[in-house]
Amino acid sequence: MTALSEIRHHPKPLTLAAYAAGNLDEARAVVIATHVSLCAACRLAARDYESIGAACLEAVDPVAMNASALDSFWARAGKQERAMAPASAIAANDFALDAAHPLASYLKDGLDAIEWRPVAPGLAQVVIPAEGYRPGVLRLLKVSPGVQIPRHTHGDEELTLILRGSYTDEVGDFARGDLADLDGEVLHAPLAVGDEPCICLIATSAPLRFRTIFGRLVQPFIGL
Amino acid sequence: MTAPGPAPRAKTTPEGMNALLLRVAGDADRDAFNALFLFFAPRIKSYLMKIGAAADLADDLAQEAMLRVWRRAKLFDPAKASASTWIFTIARNLRIDAARRAAKPDLDPNEPALLPDHEPEPDQLIDRSSRDEKIRAAFSALPPAQYEVVKLHFIDDLAHSEIAERLSLPLGTVKSRLRLAFEKIRKELGDCVE
Ligand SMILES: [Zn+2]
Repeated sequence: MTALSEIRHHPKPLTLAAYAAGNLDEARAVVIATHVSLCAACRLAARDYESIGAACLEAVDPVAMNASALDSFWARAGKQERAMAPASAIAANDFALDAAHPLASYLKDGLDAIEWRPVAPGLAQVVIPAEGYRPGVLRLLKVSPGVQIPRHTHGDEELTLILRGSYTDEVGDFARGDLADLDGEVLHAPLAVGDEPCICLIATSAPLRFRTIFGRLVQPFIGL
Repeated sequence: MTAPGPAPRAKTTPEGMNALLLRVAGDADRDAFNALFLFFAPRIKSYLMKIGAAADLADDLAQEAMLRVWRRAKLFDPAKASASTWIFTIARNLRIDAARRAAKPDLDPNEPALLPDHEPEPDQLIDRSSRDEKIRAAFSALPPAQYEVVKLHFIDDLAHSEIAERLSLPLGTVKSRLRLAFEKIRKELGDCVE
């Protein structure tokens, strides 16, 4: 395998389970999907959680389909081509951002074409539109070597995936492919180390507003 | 119209489901597909109604999910996932897409899918069917309190804090029930993931 098989920091089991359940906001789902595409151990674990989802689905109380459902299904199916060839395998060994990569469709021209917005000396960011139906914010942060982010906690759960370079903090050393899945109360001051800028993909979730989500869901569903 | 297939109940083992889906993949076997449809469509409909879709829309979306199963059957590889798990991921992704479209009706059709299908080559030689059978058995054997929170998370699409609110439990209790449930299931697999 490649150097990325040496990934040392992984999402917590509950985060991976929420990802498999389809319960993460889009920003965090993109971060986890990207890590999963690079990490064999988490790929296996995510598939296990999906199998738990399948067991749950099998155990759901069924709701009878409309009487004509099977007929209308075959009427629809008759008009559709069936896929013929197996999908191409995802290149799981690098951030080459080929078309199948989870992040590729969000960064159309790759990491090198990004127009960074300076935030402070040695620090730049760009916000990536990834607005799902649960609010969350996805951003890329670029930290020059030797630059330290001021000590902070995350009021919220935050996911950070290292795409390039590396940093070190109170929690440990983080390099390409490593994912920091930190509790809100962890206090840390990451310091970018090495020769190249450290580029991280960061998801923060906004407060959940599930009543609103249900309201917003139901309305357009009715009008669909 | 094709006659309904064999009674699905006898086929609900991972092996049985795999066999049906492989018949669909290999021979476009409509009887095999009908058996899958009769088992999964009413459950996917129920799954979609849990997030607020009206019955007729859920019916339509469940058909859409089964259409994806029919059209993509040739992409199914039992070494990567059992049929049941594969169908769950299709239903889950469709539910996310539908919720997303509902929240943003003017969504650009070229916007990326929320949960990309991750279908890399199998990393190890794993017998996915027997692994999934163990997961199913361990899931069914969970104590009721743990079984309930797992189902609320995976089927009702409730986040940890939402489960806590629904059951009037502290958030920490919900998280520890989920953790215990997953640890118990992983223990049955006999390997140590994480
Ligand atoms: Zn991992």
